[in-house]
Amino acid sequence: MMSFDQVTNNENAGSNPHPLAPASASGITSDAVDLELLNAFEELQLDDGSDLIVELIDLYLQDVPQRVTEIREASIETEWVLLKRAAHNLKGSSGNLGVRQVAEICEKLERMDGHDSPQTVADLVRLLEYESAMANAALAAVRQRRLG
Amino acid sequence: MEDVRFKLKQSSPKRVLVADDDPVMRHLVTTMLKQREYEAVVAKDGREAYRILQTDSQFRAAIFDMTMPYLEGLDLIRYMRSERRLMRIPIMMISAEQDIKLMASSFSAGAAAFLPKPFTPDQLQSAIRMLLGNGSSSRRAA
Repeated sequence: MMSFDQVTNNENAGSNPHPLAPASASGITSDAVDLELLNAFEELQLDDGSDLIVELIDLYLQDVPQRVTEIREASIETEWVLLKRAAHNLKGSSGNLGVRQVAEICEKLERMDGHDSPQTVADLVRLLEYESAMANAALAAVRQRRLG
Repeated sequence: MEDVRFKLKQSSPKRVLVADDDPVMRHLVTTMLKQREYEAVVAKDGREAYRILQTDSQFRAAIFDMTMPYLEGLDLIRYMRSERRLMRIPIMMISAEQDIKLMASSFSAGAAAFLPKPFTPDQLQSAIRMLLGNGSSSRRAA
């Protein structure tokens, strides 16, 4: 399996439309979400019977598909300002909830512009879609466990 | 003199304007404020925050994301610093940008605090504590 850096730095990665596809067979990856960071937000929990972490996960999972769609569409249309904005936004919430790989890919996407080859951008977007799906599955599993 | 200060503190509104286009961030900050028994007045982007500020100045503090649609956090700070009724409200900027120049721009525009993302719960709590504590000192300085 290729590492994150190998994929993002590999000039030939674009020849494979799903560079990390083999990993999907293993299902939810343990490194998709930094659970320690996510669980740290328990200390902000209110005494009102709610579960802050479940609420944060729900908000994140509702928001992510739109952000990823924005990123994909902006990359296809080479709308760099829109791409940077959507990637910046997703980077912020992902980083805070411990979804580090998505945050790292977004950071790379934020730096993309007309000087980067369309293939490089497309590869990163595909990687984002893959990592985002993995992270979302991991978050959904955390949510399920918390709700018992 | 003590009585006047006491009255000023008592009349200080327990409301904070929060503007962020990220729902996760809005919820985190709002929850933190509720913990401290503050009401969060929430805006989903810079334009919405601007509209609120046009008619409402009863805020103990304001917390803005740096990058938002329509109007950015820096635009809001500049607007607030140009309005007499808003210029005493302490402002904290939150940003996923690690660029030191942006942090400097925030402070030079008039921000009282800057919180880079990602942040830990402790960092968020400390920043908000500092911001709300700053409210009274900013009023004295103004």
